[in-house]
Amino acid sequence: MEKAQREQLFWALMAELAEKGYRDASVEGPMAAAGVSTAEFEAEFKDKDACLFAAYDHMTELALNTATSDCESGREWPERLRDGLKKLLEAIAAEPELARAMTRSFPGIRPATYECYVELLARFLPYMEEGRKYSGVDEELPGEVELLAVGAAEAIIFSEVDAGRAERLPQMMPEILFSVLVPFMGPDRAADEMRSASAAL
Amino acid sequence: MEARADLLRPGKRERLMVAMAALCAERGYQETSVEDVAARAGLPVEDFDALFGGDRERCVLAALNAITGETMTAIASSYSPDRSEWDSYMLGIKAILELMAANPSFAHLAYVSSRQMGPPAVSDAHHAAIKVVTAMLERLWDYSNSETQPATTARGALGAAEAVVRREVVARRTEQLPRLLPDFVYAATVPFLGQEEALRLVRRARELLAGTPWV
Repeated sequence: MEKAQREQLFWALMAELAEKGYRDASVEGPMAAAGVSTAEFEAEFKDKDACLFAAYDHMTELALNTATSDCESGREWPERLRDGLKKLLEAIAAEPELARAMTRSFPGIRPATYECYVELLARFLPYMEEGRKYSGVDEELPGEVELLAVGAAEAIIFSEVDAGRAERLPQMMPEILFSVLVPFMGPDRAADEMRSASAAL
Repeated sequence: MEARADLLRPGKRERLMVAMAALCAERGYQETSVEDVAARAGLPVEDFDALFGGDRERCVLAALNAITGETMTAIASSYSPDRSEWDSYMLGIKAILELMAANPSFAHLAYVSSRQMGPPAVSDAHHAAIKVVTAMLERLWDYSNSETQPATTARGALGAAEAVVRREVVARRTEQLPRLLPDFVYAATVPFLGQEEALRLVRRARELLAGTPWV
């Protein structure tokens, strides 16, 4: 299977999952869409579940790369965070069904798939650690402050995607940024960053 | 089956709800049948049919209502006119964490299964519960010196706390949730009260965990 075919298969399978749900989703349609034969499929995946897990891993990497591609640049952390969040929200708004599959359909299949979702969120935690430096009160902050920041953003994003309002997310970037920054900076400094982000929009 | 605290009195209905919550946590709602629930509860399927009309969804909703009711009772029981509002608030959070710690399957049902795995009516019940708690958090706006918070502030604060609960539930460390009281207190207060006051409450929460008498 060519790399491009595999990627097309993953996208089609996640779309199938979002549209039909786990029980009714099949691999035949996505295989046809990607031009993948049964022999090629079986050479890489034991069954539908194996392909679904591989697809979810692939999409997780894409989401992480989208949000963190500029993280190594020399700009200040809040600015990099803002840009990463902006890119992620734009990607979600552009593919609302994929977002629903990533946040709702796949995690909801069974406890093992929900664990993948928790792991996806955990992948964002290292990018939050720098926020402690900006807090000015690093040693006093609770131990889970990075997860608090990620969880705040996830809750707002999940609510909008689940309600079929993913297209609003790019406009909501400043207020989501506020909820991510507030555990590190407090409400006044987080609001300053929110206003800057609004102006940049 | 996990050890139960006093969440539910163990009648047939309650045994079935406990079994449903446990199986949803172990294998998910979609993979849980009426027969599985009855067998886990040690009851005939006829009892499930008689109590829930043979409907899995009714059983899950009943269990969700039970845990929501217990949560509200825990919050209300923590209030005392002899304590400051903040101490009552903190003790309310502590009571919720202890309730979850004593009932891991119900914690999974309330924070994971109902949000992700359940049928639409169960998701709707979860959303309704989130709205109630969000509205309770929004009361903290009355104590804020700032008017700059966006409309989604309370949802974000609750989501922050939920993320910690879910991670601990999925990692099967639900019984350890009470030790994270300072993190939950911080999540709920920092957007509204500011960092200085939230950190003061974190120190107070640490004293509470350490058993230091409050003055």
